[in-house]
Amino acid sequence: MIEFNNISKNYGLTKALDNVSFSVKKGEIIGFVGPNGAGKTTAMKIITTYTAPSGGTAKVGDYDVQNNPLKVRELIGYLPEAVPLYDEMLVSEYLEFIGNSRHMNGKLKKRYDWVVQACGLENMLDRKIGVLSKGFRQRTCLAQALIHDPEVLILDEPTSGLDPIQIISIRNMIKELAQEKTVILSTHILPEVSNISDRILVINKGKLVADGTFQELIQQVSKYSSIYIAVQTNKKDFENAIKDISEIKDITYDHSTKRGVTGAHLYYSGKIDMTEKLNELIQENKWKVVEFHPEKLSLENTFIRLTQSNESEKQAETKGE
Amino acid sequence: MRDIGIIFKREFQSYFYSPIAYVFSIIFIFLNTSIYMFHFFLLGNADMRSFFSTLPLVLGIIFIPAISMRLWSEEKKLGTIELLLTLPIKTEYIVLGKYLAGFAFYLIALAGTFTIPILLVILGRPDFGPIIGGYLGAILLGGFFMSIGIFISSFFEDQIVSLIITSLVCGFITLIGWQYVPMLIDGWIPGLGTFLDKYIGVSRHFNDIERGVLDIKSFIYFLSFTMLFLYLNVKILERRKY
Repeated sequence: MIEFNNISKNYGLTKALDNVSFSVKKGEIIGFVGPNGAGKTTAMKIITTYTAPSGGTAKVGDYDVQNNPLKVRELIGYLPEAVPLYDEMLVSEYLEFIGNSRHMNGKLKKRYDWVVQACGLENMLDRKIGVLSKGFRQRTCLAQALIHDPEVLILDEPTSGLDPIQIISIRNMIKELAQEKTVILSTHILPEVSNISDRILVINKGKLVADGTFQELIQQVSKYSSIYIAVQTNKKDFENAIKDISEIKDITYDHSTKRGVTGAHLYYSGKIDMTEKLNELIQENKWKVVEFHPEKLSLENTFIRLTQSNESEKQAETKGE
Repeated sequence: MRDIGIIFKREFQSYFYSPIAYVFSIIFIFLNTSIYMFHFFLLGNADMRSFFSTLPLVLGIIFIPAISMRLWSEEKKLGTIELLLTLPIKTEYIVLGKYLAGFAFYLIALAGTFTIPILLVILGRPDFGPIIGGYLGAILLGGFFMSIGIFISSFFEDQIVSLIITSLVCGFITLIGWQYVPMLIDGWIPGLGTFLDKYIGVSRHFNDIERGVLDIKSFIYFLSFTMLFLYLNVKILERRKY
């Protein structure tokens, strides 16, 4: 239903998307996961034809987003991150405006009633959009995306800024809707999409770093652990000493430590006993330990970090050969 | 055609929610009629010459920029441009719908100055030729400035920036043909003033129509420039660089 072939998008010198390819089958629910600024929104904007890609081709249904944008737009219901609403309009006026713009003609009445009920907007129809709470604004915008019964739904952070109860209700709604539609939704919280999505695409720094079901991702992540260590030494000595432990896959330095103290997050494959190795290292170098503890990182952070370090390792290996 | 109507309707209605549009309409009508009344009492002629001689400046510097600034800038600020440009409506129709809404609002404000001809009919026996010519010129001129305004507003998220730039551009093309300004410019760089006045300036064409000289060149000038800016507006939006 949706195909991305080597899509790139540059904003000036920044690469928002770098050679991203994936495809989505009809009826699938896809979760886009990644930190803020990873490129999720850019990918969605390309699918919805709002932004033109700098390179590569993208198709929705049988239509190319560049050559046939109007046909693509007809297939898509889109909830942008910015929640675009005209504050001075009534909720009913707004939905009618969208319905008319989508050339619904005779079908509008029936769908309008359905969408108002499905999004729980019955009591809000005569209110001005400007006075609505955040939750109802989000729902109004969701109703806008659904009114023409689109085949493809693109939802950019549909639950951001909502309270937990609203999050659950929106999530349930998406689940219900998703039975007959192709859905792409984005979030920066991995567990949030875990129980709705068939497949999860992890995007970081404009690159697709992982693609699989939630279970597959969990398996990959659970192989790794992380330890935080802070010792009294300078960074150079620390770097030299830590290099000898080959099991460490990745290091990020903590820049908030005091002068003379080096702090770092160490990521390693979970099966070995890292505490012992590090203890030996500390004794050898006669470091004074300031902090030393295992860490629980959020799932997506660990995931992104490790998939990336794996990749850079692979690249290094191939270069070595 | 229906698509243009849908966009037009929403855009036109939203003018009536905005206090800025009301304020500027009142300023527009008040400013024009009061400047006119000053001349009217001074000269005592039952014509609208002085009204139409100040109109291009009031339109170009104040009124049109004030009502055209929101056309795209507001959509950009609210993020609704993303909604609008992902609807299955051709960009040309969206631009045209919005443009016509702004234009229609201008026509209403212009109709607010009909008090002057009505007054003239009551007080004297005015010559209707120049008055009708003047209003015809005002319609063409307003439409032209509006196309500049909508084009410029598609570049900026901030309405005030759109207003100032539109005001500068419209002010410039009005002033280069204004009374003695071409001669003044010729004094600095010989030929430049005449050139600008002849090919770019709006005043010469407006004055012709206002005097009742319905030269085809003037119509071509207004209509082709209006269409050029609307076309450029569509092209800018279709680059889809956001």
